[in-house]
Amino acid sequence: MSARAGLKAGQAGQAGQVVERLEIQKAWLVDPVAGREGPGEIVVSDGVLESVVWLEGDEAGGVDDRGVVVAPGLLEMHAHFREPGFEDAETVATGCAAAAHGGYTTAAVMPNTQPALDEPGILERVRAAAAASGSPVEVLAYGAVSLDRAGEQLSAMGELADAGVVGYSDDGACVRTPRLLRSALLYAGMLGLPIVDHCEDAELTAGAEANEGYVASVLGLAGWPAAAEVNAVSRDIAVLADALRDEPRARLHLTHLSTAAALDAVRRARAAGLPVTCDVTPHHLAFTDEWIAGSRRWSWEALAADGLSGDPWVDGALTAAPYDTSLRVNPPLRTPADAAACLAAVLDGTAGAVVTDHAPHTAVDKEVEFGRAINGISGIETALGILLSFVDAGKLPLARAVAALTTGPAGIMAGWSRVAGTAAARPRGLTEGAAADLVVFDRADSWQVTADSLLSKGKNTPLLGRSLPGRVLFTVAGGRLAYQDPSPDQA
Amino acid sequence: MSAQAGAGAAQAARKDAAPTQDVAWHHRHVLDVDVLTWPEIELIMRTAEEMGGILARPIRKVPALNGRRVTTLFYEASTRTRVSFETAARNLSADVVSIATATSSVTKGESLVDTIRTLEALGAEILIMRHSVSGAPYLAAQVFSGHVLNGGDGWHAHPTQALLDLYTMRQHVPGGDLRGRKVVIVGDVLHSRVARSNIWSLTAAGADLWLCGPATLLRGLDRWAAAWEGGKVPGHGRFHVTSDVAAAIRDADVVMALRIQRERMQSGLLPSLREYAARFGINAERVSRARPEAIVMHPGPMNEGVEIAPDVAASGRSVVTEQVSNGVAIRMALLYLLAGSHDGTVPGAAR
Repeated sequence: MSARAGLKAGQAGQAGQVVERLEIQKAWLVDPVAGREGPGEIVVSDGVLESVVWLEGDEAGGVDDRGVVVAPGLLEMHAHFREPGFEDAETVATGCAAAAHGGYTTAAVMPNTQPALDEPGILERVRAAAAASGSPVEVLAYGAVSLDRAGEQLSAMGELADAGVVGYSDDGACVRTPRLLRSALLYAGMLGLPIVDHCEDAELTAGAEANEGYVASVLGLAGWPAAAEVNAVSRDIAVLADALRDEPRARLHLTHLSTAAALDAVRRARAAGLPVTCDVTPHHLAFTDEWIAGSRRWSWEALAADGLSGDPWVDGALTAAPYDTSLRVNPPLRTPADAAACLAAVLDGTAGAVVTDHAPHTAVDKEVEFGRAINGISGIETALGILLSFVDAGKLPLARAVAALTTGPAGIMAGWSRVAGTAAARPRGLTEGAAADLVVFDRADSWQVTADSLLSKGKNTPLLGRSLPGRVLFTVAGGRLAYQDPSPDQA
Repeated sequence: MSAQAGAGAAQAARKDAAPTQDVAWHHRHVLDVDVLTWPEIELIMRTAEEMGGILARPIRKVPALNGRRVTTLFYEASTRTRVSFETAARNLSADVVSIATATSSVTKGESLVDTIRTLEALGAEILIMRHSVSGAPYLAAQVFSGHVLNGGDGWHAHPTQALLDLYTMRQHVPGGDLRGRKVVIVGDVLHSRVARSNIWSLTAAGADLWLCGPATLLRGLDRWAAAWEGGKVPGHGRFHVTSDVAAAIRDADVVMALRIQRERMQSGLLPSLREYAARFGINAERVSRARPEAIVMHPGPMNEGVEIAPDVAASGRSVVTEQVSNGVAIRMALLYLLAGSHDGTVPGAAR
């Protein structure tokens, strides 16, 4: 209770409506733009962040970063809201509700819908659905790189740019050929937009089921080699270096990298000055392939002091049934050492953002044999809780966790000239006088991940039944209430 | 040396175990041998011996599972395993329903979960399942209220095969004790559920296990072997992975060949069957490097002339047909144990 004692939120209002008044007293403020965190108070009035007060000395007494935290609204660079085409798995409306529950105020959705978002008409449908939802969560969209994502011809890139996409991706698959990638980087670069690539050498992953290694070997699952990701990353970087000679505005963003070697390749390319950025996901940070065998310990708990992976068959980590299809994801969950490399990449800035790759699926697509289950984890509501678990374990400073979900992705998008200067790439700080765009969560309170508590239609997460730290109390997007915790003890 | 260390670990684990007489069966399903303790494996062996006694009689039938409903659900073509299970079930007087997916509504797109719920509604109590996807029986076990017996899943597990292999080896090794005995499995280990289940049971038995084959067909197994280096998994010894067939077979007590499938050439894992036979085939010359009393095994069906030479398959060392008949005894034992909580004594089996 004490953690919430400072909330005066009775007048926050109805979801979707402008927040008339919201006062958060004696909380922990995190402003990654100012590079500042500490005790403070905020007041939102008529949708505007009216005041941000940093408390000093006695006033700050008893406030620490273990209670209520106020941070800028989170920015999701990679989500699947499934509309149009797969509305049984998710809609723009349910995706926005889930995003708000996760603390997000902006979400960029991937174009692998049915039909694919390869021309402006589909973007209009997505926008219309977002408007109709009444959610204040801002929905951005990527266009497809290739027509129908078929990897043959370019999509309607220029028209899509005019209509407002923030980049191009054939996510779900790698841009199919290096030749197409080169054209796409040049053409998108000319338009001031990036190619966001899903790095997978499909030839090496044909039939693959789980990360190639000890766990897949014991479970008899077809190996998904790290080389498949490293190959694609190397190809993309080489093609980018080449394209830059003709089009200096070419930009490459590599999404959901999962292996130590691929992250090293990006680290080297960035050190050489290439305009390549990348992100990692909460599930590749926190879960490992041993979860498929039935382990449920966090990635850092699976690493022994000597840096070597523990053995779940030896150390009693196998607590759940094996072959849980909620763990089938592309790229696959990797080893504890790879997860540690993902964390190191977040800490050293190689991975500028943490994105959820929110991939909701129906029970019909997941309640099948492991090797036949569709890939993806529903993750937009659990990302903050997963990162806060890292914070609780002392693996990630709170301010870094917040930055990876706010200024990190915003900074990457600000590097795309057509997006820079738009609202999408705005700095995400706690700025007085601006429209309130923030999340309030309570690190002292946890919440149970259940089919009921998740607002996404996709219940496909291995965290079902588990509790996560950092209950989101409010999400305010663009001055409007996006989410308010419904629990009865709400102040 | 290290192999003995591994056997020692298995032995040490065994010492702590309760005397086998006191072991009661408590598993609801048999999905793999990995969760079986050594005393439980010995209980299965003992129960299978009693079943072997029944099989030696003129009338091979006891009423132990009278009226119990056993369903075989095979998503993959298999004659010998399915017939072996059905024979075992009928020997115990169970009612057997046999479903082959080619003739079922599975071809109309019914999901595994729906199929299993349907079979349960039709009264199935024990489900024997064969499936091409690793882990499928674990999904079945989650939705089925009865017992699931894994008849082979993907590359993952084939517990009844591993248990009948162990049973057959014990009949041939002096004293029935595999500790320190060298067992070599040669062939397509990567795609073999037989090999994977045998890793668990033979390292539990304390055997000096060697897996051998071309590097393309051992992928990932080296990482498993490395993880078990030093026999650190409780109750299991270490094992060896090698492409050196001469070293693997030298002084072996048991040589087991695995089936090589033609599609391995199409997928670029092997140059040719001819080359495989020349470099890895179990022929008379290679077997002569094993111990004089060594036995030759094969889970079947055999490609004679590829992974095993016809003269070896037909020789006195070959115990392939014993494996088949022992398979019925093992499957009777497991059905019997699954059908109730038993100590391995089969009523009506006393001689």
